[in-house]
Amino acid sequence: MSRRAFATALPVAAAFFLALGSTNTRAASPADPALVLLRASLGAPKVVSYVGQLETVRFSSSRATATIVRVEHRAPSLTRRWYLAPESLYGDYTITRGIATYDFDIKNSRVTISHNPALDEQISSAGNFDRVLANYRAVLGGNDIIAGRATRSVVLINKYTGERAIRVWIDERTHLVLKKEEYHGNGAVASQMRFEGVRYTNAIPDGVFSTDPPSGYAQIAGHDFKMPSTDVGRVIQEAGFAPASPKDLPQGFSLVGGSVATTNGVKTIHLVYSDGLRTISLFENATGAAADFGALRPKTLRFENHDAEYVEDGPTTLLTWREHGVYFALVGDLLRNELVDIAKSVVP
Amino acid sequence: MSNHITTDLLVDYVHHELAPEEDALVHAHLGECAGCRREVENESALTDALRSAAAAEETDMPSLVAARVWETIRSARPSPLGRLAVLLRPAVAVPLAAALVIGAYVAVPLSHGGPAPTIDAGYYFEQHAAAQVQYPLAERGATLQPADRAALEDDSPPAQLAEQSNVGVATVDFISAVR
Repeated sequence: MSRRAFATALPVAAAFFLALGSTNTRAASPADPALVLLRASLGAPKVVSYVGQLETVRFSSSRATATIVRVEHRAPSLTRRWYLAPESLYGDYTITRGIATYDFDIKNSRVTISHNPALDEQISSAGNFDRVLANYRAVLGGNDIIAGRATRSVVLINKYTGERAIRVWIDERTHLVLKKEEYHGNGAVASQMRFEGVRYTNAIPDGVFSTDPPSGYAQIAGHDFKMPSTDVGRVIQEAGFAPASPKDLPQGFSLVGGSVATTNGVKTIHLVYSDGLRTISLFENATGAAADFGALRPKTLRFENHDAEYVEDGPTTLLTWREHGVYFALVGDLLRNELVDIAKSVVP
Repeated sequence: MSNHITTDLLVDYVHHELAPEEDALVHAHLGECAGCRREVENESALTDALRSAAAAEETDMPSLVAARVWETIRSARPSPLGRLAVLLRPAVAVPLAAALVIGAYVAVPLSHGGPAPTIDAGYYFEQHAAAQVQYPLAERGATLQPADRAALEDDSPPAQLAEQSNVGVATVDFISAVR
């Protein structure tokens, strides 16, 4: 590792471990009824089997995009999602078996198989719930009927800003999350998820989760995603260059991991920052390889003498710019001006 | 609930038309009665078949049929001599040579100072989503695929857009219509 890379790695790694320590010491009391309910909801998919219809609406700055899927889930880790909308996905379906996902594209007769260890619910609930408690206050909300089921809602409020970040409606008997709303910092709804119907049953046939491709289907190897490593020093060493880190992050966010991957011949480092609920990704490549937006139509903006481009996928924004030969891509479910403020603080 | 459930009630159950209390009663009965479960499976199969048939009418040809046709075409291979003869025809040979030259040019961009490599914007979204999924209450599916994101930045009104290009944008109004 070069001296410059090492000099950057040390403070980044130190900040990471400091953040880990502060997360653990500020955890809230686990006896709080809102927390008990919330914790139970995280484990519910491991023990509850169901079929239902799920609607998801994601809001960008100019439009709403929606998906409607029929879901069959057999605990602990088999799930099929069958798309009813949008029209372009109608009939396509996805089967998740543990960490493997099979995307069946019926129009093009192909199935894409990818793996993501982060899909393991145990990983998600074990390490990160404390981080949520450190940064958010859980408050019990009212009772409501969702999909014909009695639910109790829990609101998570950001401890630093006092803003409502997320509200979930939890089935009182099964603890499955039946509705969820996520909010931007300005109070606007970022996304909604809601079961229109749900039926709890263990009698879902094995055939529903069959991953055998129909005759004539091509099998395509998808991504094998890696869990971001918490050994940031090693990640930086692997990258072979000193990445820049944002100096100003929203309160509660800290570096939680990173990874290095080579895509299209370009080595790219991916740094992940999180406050437990929300995540920001910062990608950097030292070759200056720009993003190929393809059919997407990026919009331009300018900050601190940089010409940047951005596109939105629902509430998720990708902001890209180049500085000192390094190409940066910042992704997060934050408002555009919040992302720009973070980008300004990334100084190579 | 005694004996068996009426067919009308079962049909309404399959189509989510029952009131919550009735739905729960039927659901409980199905847990104990294999006969009624078979009835429900039959009704579900019929519904799926009708839905598939309706979907097939909307397209030119069912994709599975199309796949089989292509499979048959591909399996009907000419003899080696026949294949060579096809390659030597000017109509094939000239474009083939041009494609080879262009392919070689693109394959070694650094040697001729050609365009620098780029990274698909979808890669950033996918990697971000994959990292995000480990956090509590994160989405685990049911979001748009990268190919559908192209529609998101189009400035056309959603209804027009869907009509023009059959892309994957559904508005809240559309959801209501589906219901």
